[in-house]
Amino acid sequence: MFLIALAIFLVASLLIGWLIATFIPVNVGITTLVVGIILGYMGQRSRFCTISGIRDFYLVRDAYRLKGLIGIIIGGIIGFNAVNWISGASDLPGLPDFSMIHEGLYVEPMILLPLATIGALGMGFFSVMSEGCPFRQHVMAGEGHLSGILYLVGALFGIMFFNIVITPYLQLLTLIG
Amino acid sequence: MQIKLGKLNFALKKPSLRSLRLAPNLALLTGIAMGVLAAIAQGFLNVQPPVGVGVCGVSHPTDLLNWISNTLFGSDFTVHGVFLAIPALTPIGFILGSTLAALKNKELKFRRGPVRDNIFAFILGFLVFCFALLWGSCPIRTAVLSSYGMVFAMIVMVAIVIGVIASCEYIKWKVRRM
Repeated sequence: MFLIALAIFLVASLLIGWLIATFIPVNVGITTLVVGIILGYMGQRSRFCTISGIRDFYLVRDAYRLKGLIGIIIGGIIGFNAVNWISGASDLPGLPDFSMIHEGLYVEPMILLPLATIGALGMGFFSVMSEGCPFRQHVMAGEGHLSGILYLVGALFGIMFFNIVITPYLQLLTLIG
Repeated sequence: MQIKLGKLNFALKKPSLRSLRLAPNLALLTGIAMGVLAAIAQGFLNVQPPVGVGVCGVSHPTDLLNWISNTLFGSDFTVHGVFLAIPALTPIGFILGSTLAALKNKELKFRRGPVRDNIFAFILGFLVFCFALLWGSCPIRTAVLSSYGMVFAMIVMVAIVIGVIASCEYIKWKVRRM
């Protein structure tokens, strides 16, 4: 039953994606909104959370949510290869990049690696205390959880703090690079 | 089937085949959907550069907020190249999708949430995003990038796991002290 559902989902999503890309001009905003709605719906039904998956498995050996994290890797490999194969593009994704920082800053990777590692450690540490990853907090806010809503308000302040206070210090690293 | 234990009254339903087989793997299916949709969004619908940015719980809210700030107040905050003209609406989609699901299943209700202290929830949101932006991605995008074979993302994924384990050990230590 599960494998049939999975096969139908994979074929349907790839076919719909290809058809939309070929025949309907959709912009980035609509694409991200639709993807967000689908994943938000599925996330609410499945209680999906990457951080809780690792935590549950470590503390009580419950692998239900950890399967979700493993699923992303499986889905990424299937999707990456399927999209590559259908579109005939060999250079589609895959090149390393440094996300937010690479757009405005030109810092050596050897400086970025410890920074990113510290960031990931902090994200993992505090996400356990907030009972979920950023995606799960969005879902909880949508369900009506006050803590999820306040978490997102705090996140908005965090983004502004990062932009105004931390980014100028990171830009100093450009000089080192 | 009805079970009566004093004042308590339980009604047991016979589980359907669907709930037996599909529900235990729903998180797995959601994960696979995330990986596939991230690749489709990037490959077919051109949500790039950067790589694997189809789904993210950290960089998309940041891009959205920075885009709004740049548009309204003329600031110069960093926005990913693909979202310069039109912002990422994924965070709104996440909230809308979960609200729809909760509404459909009669679970939409205003309640306190797992973090009891309101100020603590606010501070945690602040801290998680400050740390997450040093890397620039949430664990979902990190896993997607790891599946594309990016070694840097794999190292970061290991760091996230270490952070989670450290936090679990801290909580266990704190509970033992009480």
